Amino acid sequence: MIRAHALTKRFPAGKGETRTAVDAIDFVVEPGRVTGFLGPNGAGKSTTMRMILGLDAPTSGTVSVNGHRYADSPAPLREIGALLDAHAIHPGRSARDHLRWLAASNGIPTTRVGEVLDLVGLESVAGQRAGRFSLGMGQRLGIAAAMLGDPPVVVLDEPVNGLDPEGIRWVRTFARQLADEGRTVFISSHLMSEMALMADHLLVIGRGQILADCSMTEFMSDHATSYVRVKAPALGDAATLLGGRGLDVSRVDDEIRVVGLDAAAIGDTLFRHGLAVHELTLVRSSLEDAFMTLTADSVEYHAMTEGAAR
Amino acid sequence: MTATLMESGAVVERADVARPTFAAVLRAEWVKLRTVRSTWWTLVATFVLGAGLTTLICWGNADWLASPEADESPGSFITWGMMIAQITAVVLGALVVTTEYGTGMIRTTFAAVPARGRVLAAKSLLVVALLGVVGTVTAFVGYAGGNYFLDREGIGMSMSGDVLRSMYGSGLYLAGIGLFTIAVGFLLRHTAGTISIVLALMLILGNMVNLIPGAFGEWVTKLMPGNAGSPISTPVSFNPNLFDAWTGFAVFCLEIAVLLVAAYVVVKRRDA
Repeated sequence: MIRAHALTKRFPAGKGETRTAVDAIDFVVEPGRVTGFLGPNGAGKSTTMRMILGLDAPTSGTVSVNGHRYADSPAPLREIGALLDAHAIHPGRSARDHLRWLAASNGIPTTRVGEVLDLVGLESVAGQRAGRFSLGMGQRLGIAAAMLGDPPVVVLDEPVNGLDPEGIRWVRTFARQLADEGRTVFISSHLMSEMALMADHLLVIGRGQILADCSMTEFMSDHATSYVRVKAPALGDAATLLGGRGLDVSRVDDEIRVVGLDAAAIGDTLFRHGLAVHELTLVRSSLEDAFMTLTADSVEYHAMTEGAAR
Repeated sequence: MTATLMESGAVVERADVARPTFAAVLRAEWVKLRTVRSTWWTLVATFVLGAGLTTLICWGNADWLASPEADESPGSFITWGMMIAQITAVVLGALVVTTEYGTGMIRTTFAAVPARGRVLAAKSLLVVALLGVVGTVTAFVGYAGGNYFLDREGIGMSMSGDVLRSMYGSGLYLAGIGLFTIAVGFLLRHTAGTISIVLALMLILGNMVNLIPGAFGEWVTKLMPGNAGSPISTPVSFNPNLFDAWTGFAVFCLEIAVLLVAAYVVVKRRDA
């Protein structure tokens, strides 16, 4: 379990000013499920993860792993396994040797190195210099390193970044398996579509603040709404009629949006009252849209293109 | 949770795993050190440059040193190669630290060993041991090669007194330089920056301060780390105004200690 309380991190931003990367956030990452840590780039995900691992010191607030500060852990790699950056490997050292020094540092038996290499499917290239690894192989090596101590808590920062579809699927299955074994699994991503497939629970962060902390299903029903778009020559009449039936009707420009009844039933109703219909479309706002809307104010850099302005 | 079943079916007991003691961190750093080629290349270069150049320079100067117009002592030449070999000691000391910062691996290291002082200590101990041994062996081999040519001119030196001291003194000096560079590496976190600053300090600045006039200039020259540390690695120093061997080395060690303490404080406080 990971527990953060009023966790805050400010960085100096020059001229005596500070930039708040993480702003007094509270959260709990529970065992037995995959918790997705979702937010746009620069939202504070990596900073939070570094604070969990004791790499960055919080400006204020606390974060604990399994009930105590990570740095106080008697056997850190047995406590938490982390993948922070797949590139953070000496390019001239082999995968096996990389895992060997890590194992040695926490007194983990060398036999465990072979086991985790097996686990991630890298045993055949374990003797190769890591500099030759593809990004996908690097991610697998990072995950192998995270699993060395067989830890009850696993933290993965953007593990699917740059992976091919097969690799993405592998990470997804692997995360699921870890959660099913009862471990705490905390995975960050800036891609909602990926989280939708992987996470049971969502922690959405934007500009250093928690925007949502709920289950995946809750998030879907709360944010991914759908409505039926109706276009008709007598738009006012149609709106009055449907509104009179207790449906949630809103008029936007030259259309009305109806929530609470499917397109066929709406069409039938209008037909029975002799109202002509020009368009009847079910509009589903995707999770991606929901995420965009939620974090719209908190992305650091907006692309000023037509497409993004829709 | 005391044991967890992995996919492979292997069960790892939590209880049989030791905490990251200093011995464990030392083992880990040793694995790191011996599993990259740069370690071995720099050590081989230390040996080849140190022993090879000493031999070469003695061969080239033996006949002049034996002549009446010689105004230098053969004792200044018998470990001459170590002046160049110290460059590789700087490179080794820097790489041990700065490649971790360059790749970002330092985060993996500090996540595995939150007691960062142990990492600094383990790296230091290993580099001191390696350079101490390699430096001493290099000096002995350089002596064997160089003294062969000096002997032919009748000015050979016996392996005793200051000559013997300069042998293990070479090991001590290289070890000191490696340690000095490790501290600078932790402070700067940058390979090129670390190597150039230490080399500039040892080789260029150390000679330039000679130009400062008066007693002040004399003292600054004496106190420069390269000038303080190097007399121990040679039976007779080229520059007669430096500290004598052991006093100079003590000053050098003090300077290293100050840097190491600074590095320790900064590394402990700074976000990784």
